Amino acid sequence: MTQTLGTKEFSEMAVAAAGKIRTNVEVLTQLDCATGDGDHGISMVRAVDAMVQAVKDGSDSDLKTLLHSIGWNVMCIDGGSTGPLLGSLFMGMSEGVEGDRLDNQQVAAMFDAGLAKMLKQSKAGVGDKTMMDALIPAVEVIKAAAEGSGDISEIMAKAAGAATDGAEATTQMQAKFGRARNLGERSIGHGDPGATSISYIFQGFAEALK
Amino acid sequence: MAMKKFINDPNDLTAELLEGYCSAYKNKVKLESGKLVVRATPKSQDKVAIVTLGGAGHEPALSGFVGEGMLDISVVGDIFAAPGPPKVLEALKMANRPAGILFVVLNHAGDVMSANMAMEMAEKEGINVKMILTHEDIAPGADAPVEDRRGLVGCVPLYKVAGAAAEAGKSLDEVYEIAKKFNDNMATLAVALKPATHPSNGEEIFELADDEMEIGMGQHGEAGTGRSPMKTADETAEIMVTQLAQAVKAKSGDKVLVWLNGAGATTLMELFIVYRRVEQVLAEKGIEVARADIDEYLTVQEMGGFQMFVAKMDDELLGYWDATCDTPYMTVR
Repeated sequence: MTQTLGTKEFSEMAVAAAGKIRTNVEVLTQLDCATGDGDHGISMVRAVDAMVQAVKDGSDSDLKTLLHSIGWNVMCIDGGSTGPLLGSLFMGMSEGVEGDRLDNQQVAAMFDAGLAKMLKQSKAGVGDKTMMDALIPAVEVIKAAAEGSGDISEIMAKAAGAATDGAEATTQMQAKFGRARNLGERSIGHGDPGATSISYIFQGFAEALK
Repeated sequence: MAMKKFINDPNDLTAELLEGYCSAYKNKVKLESGKLVVRATPKSQDKVAIVTLGGAGHEPALSGFVGEGMLDISVVGDIFAAPGPPKVLEALKMANRPAGILFVVLNHAGDVMSANMAMEMAEKEGINVKMILTHEDIAPGADAPVEDRRGLVGCVPLYKVAGAAAEAGKSLDEVYEIAKKFNDNMATLAVALKPATHPSNGEEIFELADDEMEIGMGQHGEAGTGRSPMKTADETAEIMVTQLAQAVKAKSGDKVLVWLNGAGATTLMELFIVYRRVEQVLAEKGIEVARADIDEYLTVQEMGGFQMFVAKMDDELLGYWDATCDTPYMTVR
């Protein structure tokens, strides 16, 4: 049961998300070898290492500041588009935070602002075989639950489910963005590594609040 | 994973290659702040600076062309991966000067994203910088939208032309216009025979059957448009140069610059054989090869194949092409 969310809870979520990525790095590498150049797994590990470092350094920070430093740290990794995209997600989330203890609606506003910032960097939408295929449904679920009184643990569990379904659906899609785009029809049959990473992150978020 | 490469810890590839490169050519370049390759002797502040960014693993590109007459700063990412926006911003701040900065960006998703975010931050800081995007790949068609056309080896000759204009004391607007003219008149097509191994993880970055080749493949193994059974040097040369000449609208009486850039495993022997036919085909069309160069400038590890580059040249561009430069991997005296 989680009624409100602050620095402590989000720090635990970030650490769990990082663990999930590290455990699955080989899966991400294999997926990226099929449609990209194979470095997504390595880039994601660097991104989550940068995220965990920001958490360690920011245990006394308010949530807004913590999210901003996570975003900046993630952007500092030299990981192609992964750094700017994930970094802008967290920096956007920081911009969407008001106050120290967030309720359902404020959590929804935070993720919505993160998505909006990321959409400034990428024009991809659902169906384009990118991170957005996992992120957009997850944020939709969080927003839909914002009006209710359900606890944040349950909402994050549902968001993780939506992100996972979204990532799995990318297998059947033809890539429209990034390097995989050049594969055309040959991209069908392989899951998108970026969407898969987002699903691991949300799975980590949910597990931390269980 | 077993990988036949002379490396140490895969996590240290970029740091170690930059250390080695900057030590070997310390009279020309030095390393600042971990990932910025800068000139050993800076260009004077009253001249436009040329800055670029891109992943490592393509040596000698991009940092091999830092030096007099070409680049001022190359912002290096990791293997095949763009540097993050904060690092790019740091480079733009370092290069900042009243004369301004020309920022050359290759069209790849990560590079463009980092560059755009860094440009946004630089504008807030009042840095005088203009960005130019190279996108000369014609694999998706010469008229395809810009976002589909990747930046390939053409960035290197563009550094040369823009760098020479900057050394000549041209203003930022003038350097930009000269670079733009070159950019608008160049085209590249790549052909792949054999995959490269990603040096961080030992994985082959694409698959190609033993008897196949692929025209249009990008420099990270991104798929192209024309997979076919292996062809001869002459057949390959004819297909590629015909498309390239058409793309730059070269006609009888025009002068062109031709580059053949080996991807890593293709020999100079093969490239000379291909070039021989390239010049013949152009001559049949009445197009004069004003300058040519055949070398490895932008490699993809041990990938087999090459990039063919053609640019339509006028006297102004040829003048900048022939101007002196002194960098570790390109020198004109």
